Amino acid sequence: MRRLLLVLCVAVLSGCGGSALERGPVTLVFKYARILGPADPVPELLHEFEAAHPNVRVRGEALPWTSDEQHQFYVINLEGRSPGFDVMMIDVIWVPEFARAGWLLDLTPGLHPGELAPYFPSTVEAATDHGRVWALPWNMNVGLLYYRADLLGKYGLAPPETFDELARQVVRIQAGERDPALDGYLWQAKQYEGLVVNVLEAFWANGTRLLADDGTLFPEPGRAAEALGFLRGLIASGVSPAWTPAADEELSRRAFGDGRAVFLRNWPYAMDLFQARDSPVRGRVGIAPLPGFAGGPRGAGSTGGAHLGVSRRSRHPELAVDLARFLTSERAQKAIALGAALSPTREALYHDPGLVRSRPELPALHALMRAGRSRPVTPYYLLLSSTVQPEFSAVLVGLKAPARAIGDARLRLSHFLDALR
Amino acid sequence: MTGRTRAARRQALLLLAPTLVALTALTVYPGCWVVWLSLQHRVPIFGVARFAGLDNFAFLAVDPRFWSAARTTAAFTALSVALELLLGVAVALALARQERGRRLGLSLLLLAWAMPSVVTAKLYEWLYHPTAGLINVLLGAHAINWLGDPRLALPAVILADVWRSMPFVALLCYARLRTIPAELYEAAQVDGAGRLATLGRVTLPLLGRIVLLALLFRTLDALRAFDIMFVLTGGGPAGTTETLTVYAYRSLFQMLQLGFGSAISVVVFALVMGAAWAYLRLLRPRAVVA
Repeated sequence: MRRLLLVLCVAVLSGCGGSALERGPVTLVFKYARILGPADPVPELLHEFEAAHPNVRVRGEALPWTSDEQHQFYVINLEGRSPGFDVMMIDVIWVPEFARAGWLLDLTPGLHPGELAPYFPSTVEAATDHGRVWALPWNMNVGLLYYRADLLGKYGLAPPETFDELARQVVRIQAGERDPALDGYLWQAKQYEGLVVNVLEAFWANGTRLLADDGTLFPEPGRAAEALGFLRGLIASGVSPAWTPAADEELSRRAFGDGRAVFLRNWPYAMDLFQARDSPVRGRVGIAPLPGFAGGPRGAGSTGGAHLGVSRRSRHPELAVDLARFLTSERAQKAIALGAALSPTREALYHDPGLVRSRPELPALHALMRAGRSRPVTPYYLLLSSTVQPEFSAVLVGLKAPARAIGDARLRLSHFLDALR
Repeated sequence: MTGRTRAARRQALLLLAPTLVALTALTVYPGCWVVWLSLQHRVPIFGVARFAGLDNFAFLAVDPRFWSAARTTAAFTALSVALELLLGVAVALALARQERGRRLGLSLLLLAWAMPSVVTAKLYEWLYHPTAGLINVLLGAHAINWLGDPRLALPAVILADVWRSMPFVALLCYARLRTIPAELYEAAQVDGAGRLATLGRVTLPLLGRIVLLALLFRTLDALRAFDIMFVLTGGGPAGTTETLTVYAYRSLFQMLQLGFGSAISVVVFALVMGAAWAYLRLLRPRAVVA
């Protein structure tokens, strides 16, 4: 009797799958990282898309929280046969890798002329590999300098344009405040992707890059070593606290938000938190471009953010492209910018009166986003990044000389890249 | 062999079959596959797949990052397991003696053990926060750079792991202590043994095998440790907390080097098997118990 029940159960359970989906309306699955807080604007937008497409259902499915886990999720699911989703949110740095792997639908043939013109050029560059467009820019980030406007004002200082100036201001303010708990300049040097971002910004400020257009790594090793040495100097001299090598975005954001630092390098999302009702630094924070080096190019922040791609194995590619297009439209991006602390990829929205009213920092952010630069656009970006991370970290904690770290990183990378050719 | 025993054997095999099939499908097959992968240059998403012989292992032999990860794994395993055993046995002895608050103590131990290690790591991330963390706030002006100093990061990670895993050892030993018959202690008392002599001659020898078992479990876990360092430090600073499994993960899922990452996994597997074999030899029942 018991066995009979078991057999029945199995039969019923296995019968429940599949069929219902086949008969009903078309279902699209959208994979994205849920937006924190009570006002996730995405479900509302998905309903709107359904209303405009009567025979289509859209299911929003959550991705894991951290970027590492999201990447792992995609690698496992896209390498297999049927991924089970149509539209996917991907980090900008993955676009060329996913395109090269054949996981993304080439969007180029369906694009209208001029369709990408309203987007920031750097976001389009990040979505392009070998002249084809593989994803639509969805939201954007840029590295920028937060400063304590009240402290700078008290000492009659303007936001620093060079790092020398920043260091002098830190010394002056710390001497004047006599508060041992007040740190100078906070940035991110924990051994993770954020460290690479911070080092790249120093490279650019020193007029060099990590990867040249012809694929050479560290095209000017001398300049790269100089920039790394400078970053180490910030920590060694006390302009940045000794714990900088443990700092990620949230850790440094928290310390600055508690009023314990003069300067902070971070992404735009932090502004909302600094301006929250119970924030100790509310109304006392200004934003400025990242400093450069004296006589060098102007400081530029690294860009980041998320793009929307369409799975090449989607069974409804046209509808999926429509959905990606709708979610990146001006209307949808405005709703997202209103409901969450994410910044749009369309330039016009930074001067949209309705949006600027609730997010007054947007016009200032526009110039910073425009000046922002992409991390190297290459299918091997993660290989590159995870190889240089421990080397950069070793320099910043004083265990390795910059030139040696650069040499070691080059050796390892060439070993792996040679095997790929 | 009589028909009866043959039938019994056949039935035993039949009953074992599902287990054997499941083990083969879930362990042996993937295990062999990983060994096969480790002999290849394989980056499937870029269409690279060719036989490499022992290339990956040859590169490992001269790869400073691999040796650093191996040293970190060894140091992490030795220190965390030693501390967990010492503290675990001490806590078990204290609990066995203590009547009042024992249930509370046991519940607290279970709580620490039951927490997923990612949650423990997050907890410690906040405790170690350089400016807002409880530990540094209590230390005030003597605040310690827990996770940013290459000399302190590994001890900080070990501390978090000890906090989480010590209860496992403690509970195991406590359970064993409860089964030691009271007569043994009465006899020791009659023989005039003091507290220390009782501990050294009666309690600890009887705990011996369970401690060895705890040692086996904890060593195998520590050799494969991943979550705690991955969340707390990401392997940094300067790779000082990167264990072999973290390195394998980065090679497999970020660098997408399936062959190379598998080679690291094979090394970890060999280490774990070696440790298990050594302990099982120690655990084998002996004719005379000292």
